[in-house]
Amino acid sequence: MRRITLRCIGAVVAAAVVAIAPAPASAAARQRTSMSAILPQVMCVTCGIPLQAAVSPQADAERDYIQRLIDRGDSAAQVKRALVAQYGSAVLALPPASGFNLAVYIVPIVVAALLLLVVAILLGRWRGNLRRAVGGGSDAVTALSTSDAARLDADLARYDPPRRPRGAR
Amino acid sequence: MKRSLGPILTAIFGAALVGLLAFGLSTQGTSRALDEALAAGREPLAPNTTQPLPVLDGLHARTAALTHWRGGVVVVNFWASWCNTCDAEAPLLERSQRMLVAHHAGTVVGITYKDISSNALSKIKASGLSYPNLRDVDGSYASGYGTAQLPETFVLNGQLHVVAISRGEITSVRWLMRAIGRAERT
Repeated sequence: MRRITLRCIGAVVAAAVVAIAPAPASAAARQRTSMSAILPQVMCVTCGIPLQAAVSPQADAERDYIQRLIDRGDSAAQVKRALVAQYGSAVLALPPASGFNLAVYIVPIVVAALLLLVVAILLGRWRGNLRRAVGGGSDAVTALSTSDAARLDADLARYDPPRRPRGAR
Repeated sequence: MKRSLGPILTAIFGAALVGLLAFGLSTQGTSRALDEALAAGREPLAPNTTQPLPVLDGLHARTAALTHWRGGVVVVNFWASWCNTCDAEAPLLERSQRMLVAHHAGTVVGITYKDISSNALSKIKASGLSYPNLRDVDGSYASGYGTAQLPETFVLNGQLHVVAISRGEITSVRWLMRAIGRAERT
């Protein structure tokens, strides 16, 4: 009986704790963005440079507008949506992948792929040359004619230091 | 044959990159075709006259094209709330609007350029502008007029042909009145 009572009290206390505990911050509040998070993602639409580097009346108006949205509690996605509604997609630093903007995404990939291809080809050629030089060395020697071999020996003998007999000073 | 393939491919790829760059630059440049046509004594048809733009009325529901005002003089003024010189010429444009309406001769049409609609609406209210205003959200409409800086004003006749251009603030009432007079006559 006593155990049941204790359990009941425990359940009531647990329920009270849950009820009293502060409600978790809303999803919107958790997603709330900041000026420093948004600025690198948007452009000054009249200057064509990132908004964080822009100094112009339009850039000031754009920053004021973003600040108003942030103060309202908008998330980064909401701020960007609102900016696109006001200025079009050109306001985004990373443009949508459509039309001519596709070049922004495709060209770097194509260039990187071609560079890798060129590096692979050059590396292959270099390794082939190296292999030929190492493996084909004896062939080169055997390919020497007798007269060439004799001339080579004579030349090498000229560069060899003269040997002194032991004990000589 | 195999040896020459590499340089050829490299040359093609380089040419493609240069072409891409040239295309990107050409689409971003400002056109002066209207100015050149006027200088040559022609009156070119205004660009994008059938393209509907959102009406700046705070409701975000209606659209209108310049053809809506065909038949009378149309003074197209590109402006923005962040443009100080636009503020300076607004009273002159408002006086012109009253005169045009009084004579049933046409209208001034403001087109906001890359502007926040709420800011533009506040400016309209503060300046007491009575003429209609449209929104060029991303500046693509204005680029047809070669507009990249504000304010700019184009005076169109009843057939929506350009008869006068002011690139910059209108400082002379006489210039605007003469342009409107010319538009009425053609």
